Amino acid sequence: MLVPTRNLRSNPHLLFVRLPYLLSFLCIVVGVIWLLLLPLNEYSRRTYISENALLPGQVHAYFSGSEQNIFRGYKKELGGLLVGGAGGNDGEDGSRGERGNGKVQSILRAAGLKVATQNYEYTSAGIRHQGQNTYAIINAPRGDATEAIVLVAAWKTADGELNINGITLALTLARYFKRWSLWSKDIIFLITPDSKSGAQAWIDAYHDMHPPSVQPLPLKSGALQGALVVEYPFDHRFESLHVVYDGVNGQLPNLDLFNTAVSIAGGQMGIGAVLQEMWDHDDSYEARLETILRGMVKQGFGYATGAHSSFMPYHVDAITLQTKGEGWQDEMALGRTVESLCRSLNNLLEHLHQSFFFYLLMQSNRFVSIGTYLPSAMLIAGNFTIMAIALWMRTGYYAGSSSPSTSAGAPAEEKKETTQKGSDASGVMERQLALPLTFVVGLHLLGLLPLYIFNNLSHQYFSSAVYTCIIADILLPLTLAALLTHHSPSTPSTPANTIPQHYLLIKSFSFLLLGLFLSTLATLNFSLSFMIGLLCAPLTFTNRTTSTSVLRYIFSTIGLVILNVLSPPVVLVGGCWYAGVSVESVLTQAAFGWDVWGMWTQVVVWCVWWPAWVTGCALLGSSMF
Amino acid sequence: MTALFLLPLLLLMALSTLTSAAPDSDYHEGLVLQPLPQSSLLASFNFRSNTSQVSFEQRHFRYFPRALGQILQHANTKELHLRFTTGRWDAESWGSRPWNGSKEGNTGVELWAWIDAPDDDGAFAKWITLTQSLSGLFCASMNFIDSTRTTRPIASFEPAGDHSSSQLHLLHGTLPGEVVCTENLTPFLKLLPCKGKAGVSSLFDGHKLFDASWQSMAIDVRPVCPESGECLVQIEQTVDMVLDIDRSKRPRDNPIPRPVPAEQLVCDTSKPYNADDTCYPLEKTAEKGWSLQEIFGRTISGVCPLTEDENPGKETVCLRVPHERGVIISPGASETRNPDGLSRCFNLEPSSPFDLIIPEQEALTHVPLDEPALSAERTIVGHGQERGGMRIIFDNPSSSSTVDFIYFETLPWFLRPYVHTLHVTIIGRDGIRRSVPVSQIVKETFYRPAIDRERGTQLELALSVPAASTVTLTYDFEKAVLRYTEYPPDANRGFNVAPAVIKLLGLRDQAQSYEYYSPVYIRTTSLLLPLPTPDFSMPYNVIILTSTVIALAFGSIFNLLVRRFVAADEAAALTAQTFKGKIVGKVVALRDRIKGKGSKVE
Repeated sequence: MLVPTRNLRSNPHLLFVRLPYLLSFLCIVVGVIWLLLLPLNEYSRRTYISENALLPGQVHAYFSGSEQNIFRGYKKELGGLLVGGAGGNDGEDGSRGERGNGKVQSILRAAGLKVATQNYEYTSAGIRHQGQNTYAIINAPRGDATEAIVLVAAWKTADGELNINGITLALTLARYFKRWSLWSKDIIFLITPDSKSGAQAWIDAYHDMHPPSVQPLPLKSGALQGALVVEYPFDHRFESLHVVYDGVNGQLPNLDLFNTAVSIAGGQMGIGAVLQEMWDHDDSYEARLETILRGMVKQGFGYATGAHSSFMPYHVDAITLQTKGEGWQDEMALGRTVESLCRSLNNLLEHLHQSFFFYLLMQSNRFVSIGTYLPSAMLIAGNFTIMAIALWMRTGYYAGSSSPSTSAGAPAEEKKETTQKGSDASGVMERQLALPLTFVVGLHLLGLLPLYIFNNLSHQYFSSAVYTCIIADILLPLTLAALLTHHSPSTPSTPANTIPQHYLLIKSFSFLLLGLFLSTLATLNFSLSFMIGLLCAPLTFTNRTTSTSVLRYIFSTIGLVILNVLSPPVVLVGGCWYAGVSVESVLTQAAFGWDVWGMWTQVVVWCVWWPAWVTGCALLGSSMF
Repeated sequence: MTALFLLPLLLLMALSTLTSAAPDSDYHEGLVLQPLPQSSLLASFNFRSNTSQVSFEQRHFRYFPRALGQILQHANTKELHLRFTTGRWDAESWGSRPWNGSKEGNTGVELWAWIDAPDDDGAFAKWITLTQSLSGLFCASMNFIDSTRTTRPIASFEPAGDHSSSQLHLLHGTLPGEVVCTENLTPFLKLLPCKGKAGVSSLFDGHKLFDASWQSMAIDVRPVCPESGECLVQIEQTVDMVLDIDRSKRPRDNPIPRPVPAEQLVCDTSKPYNADDTCYPLEKTAEKGWSLQEIFGRTISGVCPLTEDENPGKETVCLRVPHERGVIISPGASETRNPDGLSRCFNLEPSSPFDLIIPEQEALTHVPLDEPALSAERTIVGHGQERGGMRIIFDNPSSSSTVDFIYFETLPWFLRPYVHTLHVTIIGRDGIRRSVPVSQIVKETFYRPAIDRERGTQLELALSVPAASTVTLTYDFEKAVLRYTEYPPDANRGFNVAPAVIKLLGLRDQAQSYEYYSPVYIRTTSLLLPLPTPDFSMPYNVIILTSTVIALAFGSIFNLLVRRFVAADEAAALTAQTFKGKIVGKVVALRDRIKGKGSKVE
């Protein structure tokens, strides 16, 4: 143990140049392997209900019998309004929505609920989104309006289908719930026109945080304790329930809520629960890993996966129940599940807080908690920090390849003194901080420019903007590299074959910030931090090459091509091509997320990833000049 | 011996007959029933007894409850108002409140009293005595009304009695989180002369009373001095409740509202799709049928014989339904119809049970409900652990008259309002939102800021809401961080903030015609304030973990600091406990100190 340490001390080249690369590489490899280990039984846990008050499935659900006749009646009534406009254009869509809302209001009023409406309008990427929310409140019979549960049904599901059964079920349940006297919390039935903007407008206005284009709510209740979204967009019977739980910016609902839904659906009602669109999950390692990765992709992108997502920023736990497949479960089974879930939430004495808010689910009954998975992203973020510190030390204490052979072969007795002398000889170098700091901070600020452009462009220009951005991303680092090489402060003391200090400092500062941002982000949005960390990992190993000119040109050109393939816009285009969606729609969605949901993914891309990427490219490109 | 023993008793009896003969000591009870929309029924019980001031002071209690009388005397309380309320009054469907809101309180417990004391401190000491004693009497946590929950309102309450003392102090306290239940009803009933055994109070059943959508129990004690005659002490006990007729009629052994059998569904047969398995439900337009037996689970058992009328049982029970509505009453009782056509009263047979049956009937006319002069809604807005905002919306439905009122709220000390952020917007019927200067709406302000852990904020505003407009009042607040011992041991659902009390000052354009008016009170719902809450199980984990880490780190660092590292040959000399060894040890220690390297020798 002692001997390698001494070797290290006596060999500054190894200590300052080789070892950091080794450590960084190790960090990345271990980080990735760590993630791959998570699906194993040894590293994951079975889910459990932490909040005892929930008592999932302990009550009998009575929603059956003649309630189904009423369900059919309501459905025919709503269906009669909607007939003829199935494939209609937008204007027809609007009037259909109004007629539907009018009917919904009259049904809710007849059931004895207090009904109110809210108009809203958002403009994003040049597209206007407007609609009218209808909502009704069952006052808790002996309550005092301090707490409430929300039941949401959107006219259009998250996939854009007409959710007629979901709406009808919400109406039938409203009439049925009204009769019960056991509610300790108000129950709010919210009917929104779509799953993207309606719930967001409503919840914003509920907390009085709405923009001026959204109307305030005329009717309110108390603190929201939980929200359920019901989607049943087809006419046949269903097989299983798909529980969607991802929120905006990778926020997740309390695991207890998810567990309650799974345990009620599976244990009480005998309906299977699936997640992350894993329709046939065979509990194998691959299936578990795929579920985790799908969850991570959704979390990393941070977009709203349904009407429930909008509730999460306000610390209101919410999930969506989607019916899937063709089986023998009917709407009454879904209704009983919702009833039982509402009863469980009604039992809550405290806001959901017991269980996990940070978790990765690999199956409906298995998860890993933050303590287990966090090291994975932290190691990857840590690789940048290690590199940054090593570079900083290298610029200060080690002036480059100061003949590692002098001490390498020295006998052991002399080692101590040689080390001391060696460090004395290379001396404490003065660091020129002005240029590197300006460069790095300037690039981070420059990231605001694409951020602004992509959030404020009209949607038809998105494709061209992306291609412009790709070209700009090829040219910008080269320009910067040229500027750096030709207008940098001359450091005559450095030998010709070493990298000038300011290149190392630029890299050091850039990586310091990257490591800092990513490790902070890992605690908030693990998946995003992990993904950005992996995409940035090649940057660790790129630098200004100092070999002979021909090799230098070849190496740097290959390096630049590889890095450009990993540039933010190219990754976006590649991802869109792989997923088979258009770049324009993705960017429209992103701009919508920024304007309406308060999505922060863009900020991370343009102000964390992109500056680090440009710095890496510029350093590599500088070898060519 | 026996004679001696009996003498005081006889005296007492004589005295009691004397006092009862006096006209100033009497007892009266009444019940008003009024069906409300949405299958609700308002039942308003009222029990009033008087005793003369003289006999009260001499502790001769007849109708006045002794338990309460002694507390009042001990605490120098001249006037007392105590309220137990649960649920909320749905003004939108039920109209204006019974007794103009003067007999209802905040959600939970509300208490205010005029105490005769020379100074503020004396009054507060007596107030604490009062709350502690009432707490025992009513089985409620009124002993938690401490200085942080006590305020001295300036304009919101006026004494209802005739007082002679000039040293009266008004103190007001609320417990918004108190759950009112049967243990509060039993002591309440015990204060009544007939104790729930006879008369209208025999209808009180905890199961039914506390299943009401809204209910309020009130006790008011006040001195009354008629212009002629001696002063009286009057106690009025009131119970108002809104029962859900459907829910109350469910049998107690099968209270689950199961789906009705399909053949009992009332369907809209005009719908083209109407079929055996498809039903668009028709809501019943007919008024629900009910009887006292069904609603309250029992009947009125006769008349309380202590009622001091020449005709006991006369007009004890009144029912506010139109005259064409059929009502079946128990034999022996008689009915008197009021000339206004909307109400009738019943004269009860003194010793036989009384029931009232109203069959289901298609309603032609309804008893008109008074529109409330003002509706108010108060909510907490914003989110997060640090800041929030309060939003109060006042809606004046009248199209011609301005509403003036006093808005009174007490805030717990851990909610720190920023009064400078008080902001007013007005929305007219045109729907346009206008921001106006605060002074245009708020005429006067009384603000007493909170002191941490000592007293809460008191805010009284004199407001004026113009006709046909909605005024929104907002201000921001900051949430304080509590010490961890200050969290109550219960499940932490948040902290209750007491409702605001609104006292309407009478409608301006009608004020001249009012010779005497009793103020109209409105109360908002209580609020739930989530505060930053520590995870209480976490400190234990953290303590255990950090203790271990500190023990390990401290142990090794301490070891490194105090232990001196010496070469093995020197150590042998040091460990040898000889004179030479000690000397050598000192020398080594000195050498190390001079070299200044402490202990860093490998």
